[in-house]
Amino acid sequence: MKEEFTASLLRVHFGEDDRWQGHPLHEAIMAKCQELGIEEVVVFRGIEGYGPSTRIRRSSHWSFSKDAPMQMSIVATEEQVARLTPSLDEMVAEGLVAASTVEVIRYSRS
Amino acid sequence: MLQPGKAVKVTIYLSDGATHHGVPLYSSILDFLFYRGVAGATVTKGIAGFGADHHMHAAHLVEISDRLPIKIEFIETREKIDAILSKLEELAGTGLIEMQETTVAKPAQLSKTKQPLTPAHLKIEGHAQMMRIFVSEEDQWKSKPLHEALVEAMRANDIAGVTVYRGILGYGAHRRLHKDKPLTSSRHGSIMLSAVDTAEKLRAFLPLVDQMVAEGLVVFSDVEIIKYAYRALETETIPTPAQ
Repeated sequence: MKEEFTASLLRVHFGEDDRWQGHPLHEAIMAKCQELGIEEVVVFRGIEGYGPSTRIRRSSHWSFSKDAPMQMSIVATEEQVARLTPSLDEMVAEGLVAASTVEVIRYSRS
Repeated sequence: MLQPGKAVKVTIYLSDGATHHGVPLYSSILDFLFYRGVAGATVTKGIAGFGADHHMHAAHLVEISDRLPIKIEFIETREKIDAILSKLEELAGTGLIEMQETTVAKPAQLSKTKQPLTPAHLKIEGHAQMMRIFVSEEDQWKSKPLHEALVEAMRANDIAGVTVYRGILGYGAHRRLHKDKPLTSSRHGSIMLSAVDTAEKLRAFLPLVDQMVAEGLVVFSDVEIIKYAYRALETETIPTPAQ
């Protein structure tokens, strides 16, 4: 089945060692997304980057550093974004959220 | 789809064992023809022959038959062949390409309509679009990973560039099974392809995406291209040393 619609694409940037109530931040955000019924979420681990604090984040095999830059891509409706934003405000202590309007084609079986 | 009437038959002569980016050359060419929507192509293997180097290659029982002749044949319209010929010449390397006028008496049936031909990629600047495709790492297409097949298809269609990202965590429409169990999600399963090109080129590529992606999400956003340079272009502009 093929559906076409307009939606929002959020990209949330933060660090891998960021946590929320004891859970890794990306897992916490993903749980929130699932709760809101958001359909597409992917978490990427970057190999290098820096954020608002201009501290360079790097994932190194040698130092076992957990401070790699993280990026989450979230495809959601306007309404879901409006409900997710307050949670992001609360959960992301240091990071960046970028939003853009996108055209979506969804393919699904049956 | 081929219509009865005038057409051109192209024959490419290669030798078995020739490779292109690590895969047999004939399969590379066949993939290229396939993704460019050629009506049909056949690869045949010769049992003996010789080429430009005048070395006889034959299949003997006692020795390993090496570099046997391979022939790829396909029939298409003149316009379509003109559009793909330069790339084909490049792919065929040292092989011979022959073309002959032919007449299609009866076209093969059940051939699906393919995407319209797109011109070879040119320098693009300014307004463009980014196409992101979200699929699963386990998705297959013609028994190869879907994301690899998509990259090959994009390359054959001269899409300016594509990058594949592997997510460390994620869920999507096709992994909805996990919905009843929050926090259970497939690891190492999320793939995102990100391609940038003009809106027309990406739209022209969509019919192929329709065909290849059974489950997943395709997202379009407007982007501004600041710089697009590739190495082949750079080497041409390197100033010649002073004489």
